[in-house]
Amino acid sequence: MADASHPPILVVDDNPDNAHIIRDYLEAKGYPVTVAYNGDDALKAFDQIKPPLVLLDVMMPGRDGWQVCREMKSHPTLGKSVRVVMVTALDDWVNKRQALQTGADDFVEKPFELPKLAATVERNVKLLSPTASASTVSARN
Amino acid sequence: MSVDYHQLLRDSLTRLPTVGATVDSIRKAVQERGELVILYFNFDRYSKVEEVYGWEKLDSVLETTGEAMRAALAKSALASAKLMVSFPNDDDFVVFHVPRDDTPAASDAEITELTASLKDSVSSEIERAHGEDIASLFDIFVGRALVVYNPKLRLERQIYRGIREAANASKSLEHREQAKKISDLRETLRDRGLYIEYHPIVVTDTQKVFGYEALARGKMRSMRSPEVMFEIAAQSDLIWDLSRLCRERAIEGMGKLLQDGELLFMNVDPADFADPSFDVNTLNVKDPTRVVIEITERTAIKDYPKFRGRLKEFRDKGYRFAVDDAGSGYAGLGSIANLEPDFIKLDMSLINCIDQNFIKQNLVETMVRFANEHGAMVIAEGVERKEEYDMVKSLGVHLVQGFFVHKPSATGVNWRPPMHPAPAVTEGAK
Repeated sequence: MADASHPPILVVDDNPDNAHIIRDYLEAKGYPVTVAYNGDDALKAFDQIKPPLVLLDVMMPGRDGWQVCREMKSHPTLGKSVRVVMVTALDDWVNKRQALQTGADDFVEKPFELPKLAATVERNVKLLSPTASASTVSARN
Repeated sequence: MSVDYHQLLRDSLTRLPTVGATVDSIRKAVQERGELVILYFNFDRYSKVEEVYGWEKLDSVLETTGEAMRAALAKSALASAKLMVSFPNDDDFVVFHVPRDDTPAASDAEITELTASLKDSVSSEIERAHGEDIASLFDIFVGRALVVYNPKLRLERQIYRGIREAANASKSLEHREQAKKISDLRETLRDRGLYIEYHPIVVTDTQKVFGYEALARGKMRSMRSPEVMFEIAAQSDLIWDLSRLCRERAIEGMGKLLQDGELLFMNVDPADFADPSFDVNTLNVKDPTRVVIEITERTAIKDYPKFRGRLKEFRDKGYRFAVDDAGSGYAGLGSIANLEPDFIKLDMSLINCIDQNFIKQNLVETMVRFANEHGAMVIAEGVERKEEYDMVKSLGVHLVQGFFVHKPSATGVNWRPPMHPAPAVTEGAK
């Protein structure tokens, strides 16, 4: 059962092992998690589940994470409120500037440590607008 | 409906339909009435808003524009007209008006009057929501086309030709206005019709005034925005003349304004260093150690060794340097290090909503570390909200400039936001 402090999260990664590790870890922390394995499925899941927080891998075949982030951020109703965390090593200034241009809110370096990932999720959940998480929760109930 | 498909039909920012999504809905009315009036609203220099303030700001200005257009149109004689964007994310707007059966199509004069009032209400709404600096940055040009329906031709083609015709008409107006602005700029230069507003830069921890950035404003309404003045000057090969006047005016006000220890920050374009009259010996500055020359990172520096040589002449006299708009481009920290600045002014787009974005926080933290290692101070400009102020303070940013602490004024510190408590001023701050 989702509550405002544990809103639903969409995890997008083309590597099922990675995706499942993240899912199991976040579910154990009390977050309802949906997994998508490519950009197209991620956008479909985004439309259906309306998650206020998305963890997005960058390197994926087809639409990459940047493109998916841009599309989520320009979604007519959800784009404003969704927070997107890129799962990638943004190792220099240029990469981080590019990430800002797509609308990304945060990043967690790959390979990630799970406690670091949890801390990143928590700091983004804290910044979710109350209406975003409330509407999402009621949409699921 | 999939995200992709939805985005083709409706602009996510303004929530207005696109031309492609609207054409079908007016087909019947145009066929019955036999004519269609198309208005094309060309918002000039919106790209500048994005360049200076970042894409988030332009998104928000576009939202306001869409709302203001919708509201102004609803109150006008064209209340039944359809408002749309040409395509998603575009900054131009299109209006389709099919006159009612019992009324004649609006005349050119009526349309001119109507578009003038639309322009006014949109401009004042943008000024109310985003401030005078942004409102004075752009112009709106409205072109008109009348499509008389010809059943032998496909209606879509006639409409798209009409849109092109209206867009071209708006471009002609823009060119005419440009010529007028060049003449206004020549008049400004001849009459020295510039004044300077001084925008305080304060020590982050104490909010004590550290110095002032000189911002040139034209006395003529069309020359109010420095960005507009410099754009027109670049087009008419008057950039050195304008820069010279701005420098003279800024330095003239220095004596009256600056208290002990306070500095004057003066914008100089890298291109100004090629002006033979821009010379350490010709600047009428009594104490060069009180002047910081701000050089924008946005203009590419073509010949670094030569440029550094010019900087050295000034540095040897005691002038200090700031890299302006730092981090705006993709050049990274290397190009900043090349200039060996005393101050690094962060690009405004990094400060806007920094409290909400962890990537911006990470970038600013990196810049502060870099500055501390190189003996420079970081200035955050465009700080407009308390949350932004608190965040840059916690990240160790040394100096702050923005509406949250002070607005620019012709006389220095004489304005404070009504709800903002007076800052504690402690002696001994840097």
